[in-house]
Amino acid sequence: MTKAAELAKMGEVLTNSQIGGRRNIVINGAMQVAQRGTSFTSQNAVAYHLDRWETSGFNMGDGVYRVDQSTDAPADFMNSTKIACTTADTSQDANNQMYFQQQIEGLNCSHVNFFVSNADTITLSFHVKSNRTGTYSFALKLSDNASAEDNSSTRIYNTTYTISVANTFEKKTITIPLDTNGSTKVTNNTFSMAIQFWLGAGSNRDGAGAGAWGANGNAATASANLDILGSTDNNWYITGVQLEVGSQATPFEHASSFGETLALAQRYYHHIQGGAKTKIAKGHATDARAGYFNFELPTSMRHTYTLVHSGLTTLRWVVEANSEKVPEQFILSDSNCLDIASVYMQHANNVTTVGYACGITLLDANAYIAFDAEL
Amino acid sequence: MSIQTVKKVKNIITDKIDEDYLSLFYTSGQECSVPKDEGNRHYQEILEWVAEGNTIEDAD
Repeated sequence: MTKAAELAKMGEVLTNSQIGGRRNIVINGAMQVAQRGTSFTSQNAVAYHLDRWETSGFNMGDGVYRVDQSTDAPADFMNSTKIACTTADTSQDANNQMYFQQQIEGLNCSHVNFFVSNADTITLSFHVKSNRTGTYSFALKLSDNASAEDNSSTRIYNTTYTISVANTFEKKTITIPLDTNGSTKVTNNTFSMAIQFWLGAGSNRDGAGAGAWGANGNAATASANLDILGSTDNNWYITGVQLEVGSQATPFEHASSFGETLALAQRYYHHIQGGAKTKIAKGHATDARAGYFNFELPTSMRHTYTLVHSGLTTLRWVVEANSEKVPEQFILSDSNCLDIASVYMQHANNVTTVGYACGITLLDANAYIAFDAEL
Repeated sequence: MSIQTVKKVKNIITDKIDEDYLSLFYTSGQECSVPKDEGNRHYQEILEWVAEGNTIEDAD
């Protein structure tokens, strides 16, 4: 790039972009935060893996993949997400869909102008590598009046990017003029925008129009690489994902600390895990068969959340000194307060005394509980 | 993840069904206490699972 071009680019960034604060609308674009774990085998459906990133798979046939937080990353990055086929599906279903995505709530993109005549342009940049060269499909989605990511009312812009060299990280940039069609923009804590990297699309889910906004049809635009599950040789890595207002990709905005990204992610998911006998909560008995506990959440959750855990048999209700029971119920008591989660454990038998203190411990290092308010 | 089953929740103390929550069990062994809130992604998943012809079981 010539000096003049660099100055022009800088001028546009200064004119049109946010200088202070966070430019990147994506959370955990550097793939560093992995509260749920760093390795997920035997995947064939929809699931979150690294924080804020979801892999969606439908009609996967025999295909199975794994997701890992990889330390294979380009310069300036520590990690990437790696998706690899572990069991090939040799006869791809016509309705197969598989994509890697991040959904963004309206509160985090309310500053972006779309569905208006003077809509912004937005630019996505990322580092990607794969054993397979050629074109790949990407989609940007915008919710119309609270429509879901897969709803036909949602607006979609399909396009492609190209991997030129096998097994080598390449930086890609995609610039998209946002939709001007006058739909109703979502600006609250529900789904507003999504970026989707397509990795699989059967014949009924391929061939959507590219380079223009339209109604979502749960289909990718045509590209050479829409069958990652076609061979166990296939893999795909991504990191450094940045989505920002403007027509220029600025350098990746690294968080000032790991904790900063973790805190952003904990609005959507808060994970508690330790070792054997780790004490994770204290509460009190309100009945000889019931104990109540409060978890002060590290940040306000996005929305009414789910209590997730590794199974009742992996948890222990410490009812009195040196006495513990496997709970027969472990249920949310109140999930409407987004700052404090109230839960209770119950047992069919009288196991404690009203007013006595009690606690929750984890059976082993694999046991966990979590609060999930993901989109 | 694939859903194994979904059950209603009965409060052991009151012996009444908790109308606000459901218990969700995945084949992986993960369990969830899910609020019946259409903005909750697990409840959305349950609704889609029911729409596919599956049935929410009674509480144990």
